[in-house]
Amino acid sequence: MNPLIALTAKDLKLLLRDKAGFFFTFFFPVLMAVFFGSIFSGQSGPASAMKIFLVDEDGTSEAREFAEKLSQAPELDVLDASRQEAVEGVRRGRRVAYILFPAGFGEASPFAGKAPTVQLGVDPSRSAEKGMLAGLLNKYAAERLSATLADPAKMQTSVDKSKSEIESAPIPDEPKNTLLAFLEQLSKLSEISGSPQAQEMGFGGFVPVQIEEAPVQIERVGPRNPYEISFPQGIIWAILGCSASFAISLVIERTRGTLVRLQMSPLGRGSILAGKALACFLTSCLLAVFLMLLGWVVFKVSFDSVPKLALAIVSVSICFVGLMMFLSVLAPTEQSAGIGWAVLLVMAMLGGGMIPLFIMPGWMQQVSHVSPVKWSILALEGAIWRGFSYQELLLPCVILVAVGAGTFLLGVRAFRWLDA
Amino acid sequence: MTQILERRVGLRIENARKTYGDRVALEGLSLEVEPGEVFGLLGPNGAGKTTTVHLAVGLLEPDSGSIAIGELGTPAEPPVRRLIGVAPQALSLYEELSAEENLSFFASIHGLGGAELKENVDWALEFVGLGDRRKDRVGTFSGGMKRRLNLAIAIVHRPSLLLLDEPTVGVDPQSRNAIFESIESLRDEGKTIVYTTHYMEEAQRLCERVGILDRGKLLALDTVDNLIRSHGGSSLLIVETEKGEMRRETDDPLEELKGLEKEHSLNRFRVETPTLESVFLKLTGRALRD
Repeated sequence: MNPLIALTAKDLKLLLRDKAGFFFTFFFPVLMAVFFGSIFSGQSGPASAMKIFLVDEDGTSEAREFAEKLSQAPELDVLDASRQEAVEGVRRGRRVAYILFPAGFGEASPFAGKAPTVQLGVDPSRSAEKGMLAGLLNKYAAERLSATLADPAKMQTSVDKSKSEIESAPIPDEPKNTLLAFLEQLSKLSEISGSPQAQEMGFGGFVPVQIEEAPVQIERVGPRNPYEISFPQGIIWAILGCSASFAISLVIERTRGTLVRLQMSPLGRGSILAGKALACFLTSCLLAVFLMLLGWVVFKVSFDSVPKLALAIVSVSICFVGLMMFLSVLAPTEQSAGIGWAVLLVMAMLGGGMIPLFIMPGWMQQVSHVSPVKWSILALEGAIWRGFSYQELLLPCVILVAVGAGTFLLGVRAFRWLDA
Repeated sequence: MTQILERRVGLRIENARKTYGDRVALEGLSLEVEPGEVFGLLGPNGAGKTTTVHLAVGLLEPDSGSIAIGELGTPAEPPVRRLIGVAPQALSLYEELSAEENLSFFASIHGLGGAELKENVDWALEFVGLGDRRKDRVGTFSGGMKRRLNLAIAIVHRPSLLLLDEPTVGVDPQSRNAIFESIESLRDEGKTIVYTTHYMEEAQRLCERVGILDRGKLLALDTVDNLIRSHGGSSLLIVETEKGEMRRETDDPLEELKGLEKEHSLNRFRVETPTLESVFLKLTGRALRD
């Protein structure tokens, strides 16, 4: 076996044998990505249906029909109740509001100048919900009216009912006659609207608006789902854990004497560090690929291009291999290993590894430029959902490789070999 | 590979000086270990033994002077270093790996592979009596077993020159004896061995020649018998008479005993001859060391 491969294989084996290290490197980032993805999906994913009570005190076919329409509305989660149950339920906060069809709802006709009344029971402080429910009621009432206008039989029944109401109503002659004449003309139009002659004449009936669907792919400006934010963060955490583990393993090699033994072998110092770096690099790449596959298969995390994603992953891994080397110098004993983690945590904190950058205040977003975590997330997100071109991806990738190379060289130069 | 490793080589250190800051670790050390010889390097703590081993394996460069492995040159060169096996004083093992995995790894980085690697690993495990624990993690081993594995790692690539730096520190008598037997077996195979210790009886049992090192300087170098003869001093005759115990230092215990018999009624006597320890104490003094 090639000595470099032997060194790498040994380090990978040691990582797998270290149960705590294995958990924090492999499983913790998965938990984190899934956990935060789930939280964000509750906040910014498709809005969940608004829970309301529905009270039908009218009991007419019109009321039942409208209630059925509301029950099928995707924006609403409807529960039938009595008036008392509904009022009590809203008062105790079990549901947001109630909608009540009072007696006479079905009898009212908009053609007779009497719109059907609906009662909306909601706490006055919940203005957003109140506005949304009012909008929904108008929307579904308009649909109901459209359905009546579009159906000649229904239209005729409604016109007849309205005419008899108007005739018996105590209103002055002039408006009464005007309304009756209007309804007469409406009735005639309704009669011919469904006939073949009407079709030939180009009259399609009382459809308020004919909607033609024209599919247009909208330009995506954000992630397709919250996991596309949480998984890049998960990858970063996995790579941070990997970097810290390998930095500590290098320290352990020194303190337990195996580093001296490696130095006594025919391997050069360069090979010893290259073996450690290669193991760290491969583990980082493996972790990123594992998390991306998991995100892709289970959480619908997709990516624009495999080569771009590979470029991002390789750049991020190179960066953190360099940082691993640097951290092993910064924290030269097992006791001081926490320093390495602290440095990584600050980088994660500043760079959007804990809280997405877009939530942070402007000045913090400026400060985040100093953290490799920010560029790592940007590179990964660029390949996953930001739709970066190669040119756009180049900036974060070049920064990451430069940071990796710089910190690696600094680490190698400052590395303390034999304890003399 | 095997042909190179089967080459018998010696070690030559010429006028080596090594300092760590202001502290002089070695001052003009010169010695030559013949191919196939077991050479003991004795000295109290801080004498410079480990520094000598580190120079001999090329881990450290001397400030001045030279180190050569046979005719091959400096041990800093990787091909030369392949001929050397080292058992460091501090146990240097991967505790999370099994004995077999440790050996396979160290054999690999010495360039072994395939059937040769497997054969050498099997041999090394059997050689130190760990064949039945080959699959067990080193973390579960006793101190003695770890020491034996430390030795096995030093020999797994079948080096020509073995540098054993206090290989029996902290082990029980059984493991110690097993290590001695292993070293004797390696000596019989013709390996060149440099053995550092401060246990005199080990050097007396294993080594043909011994160098006594203190404060970075070589105080004496000769066979054990010659050292005792030239530095051991007189024998001690201890006699029990009717008047009590009498102790006499003498170069001729028998003549001394005859003289005493004329004057006293002797009940019992014994003779304490000089040992390597007395040579060591005479040369290095009795002052305590750090």
